[in-house]
Amino acid sequence: MTHFHHLTRRGALKAGAGATAAAIVGAPAILHAQTATLKITTWGGKWGEVMKGEVLPAFEKEFKCTVSADQAFPYVPKLQASPKSNPVYDVLHTNSNEQWNCVELGLVEAKLDHKKIPNIADVYPYAISDKIVGVSIFTSAIGLGYRTDKGLKKPTSWKDLADPALAGMRGGYIIPVNSLGQAHLMMLGKVYGKGFTDLDAAYKALEALKPIKLVDFTGQMEKMLLSGEVSMGVIHDSGIYRYDGQNQPIDFAIPSEGVLALEQVLNVTPGSKVKELAYAYINYMLRPDVQKKLSETVWYSPSNRKVNLDAKYDARLFNTEAKVAQLIQPDWKWYNARKEEIDLKVTRLLKG
Amino acid sequence: MASVADTLSPALPPQRRLRPAISPVAWLAGPALLLFVVFFVLPFGVMALLSLLSGNPVQNPNVYPTTRHYARFLGDELYYDALWATLRIGLITTFFSLLIGYPLAHWMARMKSRLGHALLLMAVIAPMLTGIVVRTFAWMTILQDKGVINTTLAALGLIDGPLPLMYNEFGTIVALVHIYVPFMVLTLTGVIGRIDERLEQAARNLGASRLRAFAEVTLPLSLPGILAGSLLVFALAISAYVTPFLMGGTNVLTLPMLIYQQVSASFNLGFAGALGVILLAVSLVVVIAYNHVLARFSGQEGLT
Repeated sequence: MTHFHHLTRRGALKAGAGATAAAIVGAPAILHAQTATLKITTWGGKWGEVMKGEVLPAFEKEFKCTVSADQAFPYVPKLQASPKSNPVYDVLHTNSNEQWNCVELGLVEAKLDHKKIPNIADVYPYAISDKIVGVSIFTSAIGLGYRTDKGLKKPTSWKDLADPALAGMRGGYIIPVNSLGQAHLMMLGKVYGKGFTDLDAAYKALEALKPIKLVDFTGQMEKMLLSGEVSMGVIHDSGIYRYDGQNQPIDFAIPSEGVLALEQVLNVTPGSKVKELAYAYINYMLRPDVQKKLSETVWYSPSNRKVNLDAKYDARLFNTEAKVAQLIQPDWKWYNARKEEIDLKVTRLLKG
Repeated sequence: MASVADTLSPALPPQRRLRPAISPVAWLAGPALLLFVVFFVLPFGVMALLSLLSGNPVQNPNVYPTTRHYARFLGDELYYDALWATLRIGLITTFFSLLIGYPLAHWMARMKSRLGHALLLMAVIAPMLTGIVVRTFAWMTILQDKGVINTTLAALGLIDGPLPLMYNEFGTIVALVHIYVPFMVLTLTGVIGRIDERLEQAARNLGASRLRAFAEVTLPLSLPGILAGSLLVFALAISAYVTPFLMGGTNVLTLPMLIYQQVSASFNLGFAGALGVILLAVSLVVVIAYNHVLARFSGQEGLT
């Protein structure tokens, strides 16, 4: 009661103003937390099933938001067509090469705020190296997939793909549209020439691979290997290991010259209206339990050092300092700057 | 209509009365016109505009007009080859679709049995109920090196190595013809069905052979159907993306494939737009030429 005796009109106004100010400051955060929608991109297939079935609903529950996940590739043209101030995605998930395109176009952040992603402290250095824009949450390793029922020796070098016995039975990618094909071209420069940027040597080596069957995406290469249409092809380990236990006569080989990293990169769009949530999502995707779940679903190597994988995944995936040291990260900034010229050259080389 | 307007509103000033009234039926075309504007004119306008700009104005306010995308096309033979391959595949696909589709459509149109007609119609339409990707994959399992044909021939000892049935224009055209023949058949059946059979009978009574009666009566009268079916198939074939991509391998490069590459992997909407405009312009020239040739064969009234 004493309170009421001391309550003057001025005091009441002050208290009211304070309460209003608190409500104004606090309300959007609360409202945001309850109603915000996070727009992301994500892959389909098995990955998409687990994301939509388990990973994203758990995120929505914890962060009291809804997640709208686009699985219809290609994502960058859609982002490109939307205004920068109101982008169609808050978090862009693509391979590394496209993130470099996006940063050039101003569609993603050039540098993520690491303070907002506490789990980033536990990632392997490659995940945030200078070859990455954003953060790599997983990687797979690009090497050689081969049939084990064709009397082939397990390949030990990238040069094994050029074995004349594989004429017409080797597989590669339509280089202008596939980053595995682009990475392989750079690797050819390293293996046959002076280094990853030795395009002349790479072109020559690529021409020597003719006749070669080219596909546009890795799922298609998996089918070609499974059906025996190709006996050996460029593919990432995940594309082979995901058939583990299905008794398929295919295996993955790590060439002695090294494997190329195929990073799964997340980045935030500068115009996102829910940036805090976007950062929270990236942090969530780097959590050990989420990483373990997805790694063991699609055989991707987790970026977080603290993930303890089950034995069969632990044996094959790149999840120790020594193993990740084998990963070669292509210089996509360099490649993208020459993409137009390379596209023309390789299309001409491989056509006809 | 003007006289009705005069009677109903004699007090209107003369210039108002002279205005031609729009038929109420014409208003029914409104929704179709709106759809045409929204789904063709606007997107095409945006595409044509992007092809003449240095970048995307939605993202970058500092874009400027340029013809560099067209200059790029003109500056490299690879693009001419791709344009020619696109038109070649379109023309060959149209030709074979017509060759296969015409007899089938004629048979359907002249069939007396309703049940037979319904069964044939179902047979023609059934493949259209599965997606193009599915049908293309089916062709891949038939034509690829380890496909049904090559494996069977190899098992019979008839071939040493696989026949080149896929990863080339042949495989692409086979799959495209299969996919687009129903469009030709359905278009032709309606037109042939409306041709009075008695005209053909009259020609026979006047001494013409069955072949001559067909060639000089039925065929010219069915030219509008041939024109419509051919244009439909040609338009679909030159814009096909999935089938050339999956069946063509390294040996086939068409403009739609290049356009997709530019949009999805090079993010160059300007050049993609220029390729789209060029494809449309060249296709229009081909279509107009085709129309003129058919008109000459049929006489002007045949195509109206």
